[in-house]
Amino acid sequence: MDTPEYIDHYFKTQPLPEEARLFGEKMESDPVFAGEVAFYLSVFQASREQAEENKKQRFWEIYRKDRDSRNTNRVIKLAYYLATAAVIAGIVFGLYIFISPAPKKQLADQYILKNLQTLGVEMSSRNDSLQNGLRLYNEGKTAESLQQFEKIIQSDTSNFTAKKYAGIVALRLKEYDKASAYFEQLETYTNLYANPALLYQALTLMERNHSGDEAKAKQLLQKVVQDGLDGKETAQAWLKKW
Amino acid sequence: MDRSDSLLKADRGIIEQLRQGGTDRRRSEEQLFSRFSYFIREGITKHALSEDDAFNAYSDTILVAIENLINAGFEGRASLKTYLYQIFHNKCVDLIRKKTTNKNSVNRSESISDRLLLLSDSSRSVLQKLIDKADWNLLKEKLGSLEDKCRQLLLFWGDNYSDKEIAAMLYYKTADVVKTSRLRCLEKMRRIYNIT
Repeated sequence: MDTPEYIDHYFKTQPLPEEARLFGEKMESDPVFAGEVAFYLSVFQASREQAEENKKQRFWEIYRKDRDSRNTNRVIKLAYYLATAAVIAGIVFGLYIFISPAPKKQLADQYILKNLQTLGVEMSSRNDSLQNGLRLYNEGKTAESLQQFEKIIQSDTSNFTAKKYAGIVALRLKEYDKASAYFEQLETYTNLYANPALLYQALTLMERNHSGDEAKAKQLLQKVVQDGLDGKETAQAWLKKW
Repeated sequence: MDRSDSLLKADRGIIEQLRQGGTDRRRSEEQLFSRFSYFIREGITKHALSEDDAFNAYSDTILVAIENLINAGFEGRASLKTYLYQIFHNKCVDLIRKKTTNKNSVNRSESISDRLLLLSDSSRSVLQKLIDKADWNLLKEKLGSLEDKCRQLLLFWGDNYSDKEIAAMLYYKTADVVKTSRLRCLEKMRRIYNIT
């Protein structure tokens, strides 16, 4: 057995104590042999370290692939969840819009925009104070218009038309208490052919939108419908959306 | 409780394949790595290690475990997970300690010493001094410059594959042929290392 084979045999097998003793003695007495043993073990160690590095590289590739795939899955899952959430939110919002009651103030605003934005003026040369108040109102001079109608009411306390207009103008000026007061006075004129007093009171409450106003407005609208008063169709339509 | 009871079927499968050696060993090494690779995330979150450090701690854990599992150093008293986690935890703590004390050097004498156990202290001391003189970077460089088959052979040898296993994997006729070739490769290494 030559030296390399001897060294290899020693480290590849389980040497007996006697073999180990002889091997040790040779190492101590023969520096060349000791150098060969050291070289053998050094190359073994270098090979071992290189093999471990290669193995770690293999492990890294496995880890990287797994991590990247997990991250991709996470992004896909997140996108899926976001899309699902967006669809659900859309459905909920749609249902809310479709089922939920319309905001009462919005109904009131729409009514005012459609019916009370301008008030009818008689196309005559007559320049009475009522027409003047209406003209002022239509010109956007609401404060002057209210003054005009209140002047009429002062001079003629039974003028229900002036009270109706005064209530409307006060409503536009967001003077809700004043508007309510005029509409309450208007309500007392029970013999009129058409008296929108209750509808306007409800409208004022819907615009004011204080605590309890909505419930009171609903009661008034129900009365309008029950008694067939002026504005019944409007009251019915609103109650459907209540 | 029977020792084998604490081992899951999957764990037993991996250990058996590791011990079978050859290409099965390589596959089971990768399976073992993948099976508990979530430890890396724990290293990052629980030990506040960087991803690289946590990966290194876990890879080293697997390398130690592979050796112990093959050499029956693992007795199956605990589950494979518990066993690996214990090693991993220690590796993480070592890494943190090395970082704080800045001791990153590799102690090669320690890893070689198990081959020298039967030698007397004086013989070991002679050998250790010679080994410490080795230029490791140059050795690895020369190892890398060997022709492919020779390099593969030495790497399998360094990875503790037997000559019989190497013969099967590198298509040598017999284990004896592997041994002869291995010693020739060592001789080549000596020549190119000494020339430098």
